[in-house]
Amino acid sequence: MNFLSKYLSWTAGALALLVALIFAMPGGKVRGFDAAGFSSLPILEGGRVKPLDSVARNSLLVIHSRQGFRHDGRMVGPNEWILDVMFRPQVADQQRIFVIDDLDVLGLIGAKQTKSRNYFSFADLSSHLEEIQKQAQTAQPIAPQQRTRFQSAIVNLFDRVYLYYKLRNTLQLAGSPGLGWELQSLGDAEAPARHNDLTQLGAFRILPPQSSATPDAWLNVGEGLGAAAAGQGLHPALTPLARINQAYVTNDGAAFNQALADLKGIAATLKPAAVSHAGNELAFNRAQPFFVGLSIYFVAFLVLCVSWIWKPEVLRPTAYALLLSGAVIHTLGLAARVIIQGRPPVTNLYSSAVFVGWGAVILGLIIERMYRKGFGTAVAAAAGFASLIVAQNLGTEGDTMEMMRAVLDSNFWLATHVVTITIGYSGMFLAGAIAIGYAIRKHFAKPDAETDKALADMAYGIICFALFFSFVGTVLGGIWADQSWGRFWGWDPKENGALLIVLWCAIILHARWAGYVRDRGLMVMAIFGNVITACSWFGVNMLGVGLHSYGFMDQAFWALMGFCMSQLLFMAICAAPARFWAEKPR
Amino acid sequence: MLKTLASRTWTFLKSFQLTIVLLSLLMLLVVFCTLAQVEMGTAGAVNAYMRSFFVWRHFSFLPFPIPTFPGGGLVGLLLTLNLIAKTMDIQRTWAKAGMWLVHAGMVILFAGEFVAGMMQVDTNMSIEVGQTVNYVESYKTMELAVVDVTDPAWDEVYSVPDTMLSRGGAIAIPGTPITLNVKKHHANSELSALPPGMEPSIATAGAGPGVLVQDRPLVSADNEMDLPSAFIEITTAGQSQGIWLVSAAMNAPQSFSFNGRTYTLSMRLLRQYLPYSFTLKQFRHDVYPGTQIPKNFSSLVQVVNPSRNESREVLIYMNQPLRYEGKTFYQASFGKNDTLSILSVVENPGWLLPYISCVLVSLGLLVHFAIVLRRSLKRRQDQKEG
Repeated sequence: MNFLSKYLSWTAGALALLVALIFAMPGGKVRGFDAAGFSSLPILEGGRVKPLDSVARNSLLVIHSRQGFRHDGRMVGPNEWILDVMFRPQVADQQRIFVIDDLDVLGLIGAKQTKSRNYFSFADLSSHLEEIQKQAQTAQPIAPQQRTRFQSAIVNLFDRVYLYYKLRNTLQLAGSPGLGWELQSLGDAEAPARHNDLTQLGAFRILPPQSSATPDAWLNVGEGLGAAAAGQGLHPALTPLARINQAYVTNDGAAFNQALADLKGIAATLKPAAVSHAGNELAFNRAQPFFVGLSIYFVAFLVLCVSWIWKPEVLRPTAYALLLSGAVIHTLGLAARVIIQGRPPVTNLYSSAVFVGWGAVILGLIIERMYRKGFGTAVAAAAGFASLIVAQNLGTEGDTMEMMRAVLDSNFWLATHVVTITIGYSGMFLAGAIAIGYAIRKHFAKPDAETDKALADMAYGIICFALFFSFVGTVLGGIWADQSWGRFWGWDPKENGALLIVLWCAIILHARWAGYVRDRGLMVMAIFGNVITACSWFGVNMLGVGLHSYGFMDQAFWALMGFCMSQLLFMAICAAPARFWAEKPR
Repeated sequence: MLKTLASRTWTFLKSFQLTIVLLSLLMLLVVFCTLAQVEMGTAGAVNAYMRSFFVWRHFSFLPFPIPTFPGGGLVGLLLTLNLIAKTMDIQRTWAKAGMWLVHAGMVILFAGEFVAGMMQVDTNMSIEVGQTVNYVESYKTMELAVVDVTDPAWDEVYSVPDTMLSRGGAIAIPGTPITLNVKKHHANSELSALPPGMEPSIATAGAGPGVLVQDRPLVSADNEMDLPSAFIEITTAGQSQGIWLVSAAMNAPQSFSFNGRTYTLSMRLLRQYLPYSFTLKQFRHDVYPGTQIPKNFSSLVQVVNPSRNESREVLIYMNQPLRYEGKTFYQASFGKNDTLSILSVVENPGWLLPYISCVLVSLGLLVHFAIVLRRSLKRRQDQKEG
């Protein structure tokens, strides 16, 4: 039995890794076109070189909130979608990808709320573009946190439509005969105006720099055409790009793939580093390690829950093995981000969520090795799953590897202050998760003094751990502030949030040392730690004041409120007197 | 009797109850202070909640404000006493070495914040490319500058802080025959052209007679500033030069002459002159290619200090300030189409304390948790064996 359980559990873990590997495999051709190959082309957007695939995925996420959609009874992925948007706008314009939920916005475009979500195509919206733009321009000058629901929704819709409009006019002007025609009519009277439009609207720069003296001088198609018209020579990438355009419109797969190979060859001669960088990022995008990781954590958690009522000797090690393979994928994903971005793991709110989950999972794995009661696995899987869900939701706002603003551009401080403080968050959440497990156990499981004691020890140890990292992280933040802004401590909201965590840990530990609280009190306080940590992590971004308010979010407010309420409920459950417990103490 | 009182106070000061109550109060204060920043701005909220002994509040039914909550100063002071008492009380054994370090470090951290609250001076220096500046300016405090500009090579500056003007009365300027007599003071004001038919201004000289001064409510938000104005009668050696309007809202200085000397009058941000000067040679504002996202700001500055016989170039950029003569110069902002660089200047004699504290506390926590972990592992080992 022992052998069997070991064998089974490791098979499950290996299977999970295999699933992850399958995800990372390149997809097949779309209607004979090498769409995946097209998406691996390096481009410059948002200040950094990335594959076109990243633009496609992030744009579709921003516009549609997902990385794919159903159209005419089949799934359309980001690679096929971006080809249609850029080369066959008449097709893409009919695809219903714009989600509109706000009633007032629906009213504005003359549509009614229906039972299913409301999806609109660009063609549906085209007759209301002027009105949308007018309303959005009225709302834009208002500070984001002071906008009404309608104003936020209309600005959001406008931004999405504008992004779509820009993509549509990046490689060719939508409605024109295409890039090949553009190249033939360089000297035509309206050409300068068209080149200017393409330059202004171009969503990214696809023409690699031609001289090594100006390594950042990527051009967009409009600029390339303008330079050619001005007699500065035709950029070598423009001709194959025009052939790609032509082949896609005439549905000639072989010609498309041939022109693509030529274009890639040109990019590889001009900027070999960019091509390999784009390839790495493409593989990372395709593997979706955090999505795979969260799915595995979910399965691990379910398996563990089942193990409490059925065959624990087989299922508990299986859950542990699954958690371990989830952690491996999560770690690889983090490492890939660090390598691609050339930055420490935490650079924005999205990556902090990924990292908090990673820290909690690693801590949980260590605890499981120490106590072997299944609790480490349970809380680690739950915390990893929850934080990756949060990360997935934060990641719908665009590129998650955006460039760092000048003040934050310091790898040393990002690696020390930000990472330490984020590990502190991980610890607080893990302690809170253990406390919630403890509270639920008290009410539903057979009392077991030894397990309760073990849980209390775990929570206590992790709070000490969290105090250490929160304190050091906070003080390092102070030192960074002293280095770059001239004051060690400015009572900025984010600093205050970090301070609250430190103070709360100190209160918990002093209350425990003085004997004012025992195990249960400690657990109630640890759950409240979740509230404090969540508020200091996200809440301060909603206040919109201070130097740290770079990552403003408007919709997450209610999610945060809901989370806090649920934690207060758990505190009540944990603090409920003994007569509510599964077995009354004598 | 006295002894019991002293020992009781001692017991109270070193008690865990006090620690927990004070830490909880501090948490509440931090929450209030953070929320108040939305309305009052960071500086306003910090002054109201953190750098005060009580949080004062105005009730409409009372003519005076009453304290509603202990402020950061009081809580911090008590917490420091509590910390010191506690530190003295910790057993002097190796097992408690970690706790000793932590608490000593905390005392230093509190001292550092106290020093910063009391003595830190924040000013700024705006320099345009090619310009030479030998003073720093306050962010919000104003002064009335009376400048003797008679000698084209040398300005003699006499400064009267706005706080002094707001008290009113006669102010004699030492070293000059000038006496200022404040007739009226507006702490925050708005100027407009005096419409015909209005009651005439009390000003009789300079630009004042044509100007209407209206009071504005005081502001505290970070990006707002009070613009004080004052009507001042100037007498030189007993002879009146008329009543002048001086205001922070007026740009150009006004001038008058007496005894062959020319003086200018202007209400401006409080200046502190330095024994050295900065010349901005180059300002850079780099962005990431194809975007507006700032990548770097830097100022190349020539520092000239005659007293030290020093003249050197310094590059000040993000995360790399210049520490010079007790002041630290940081790249803070820019303007005028990237030809103006704004450096924030901080003078804090206690800036080193948090660094010391950080090392002590981290070390202390590490030592303590290591001791505890070793003890608990030993206990588990004993349990397994026993």
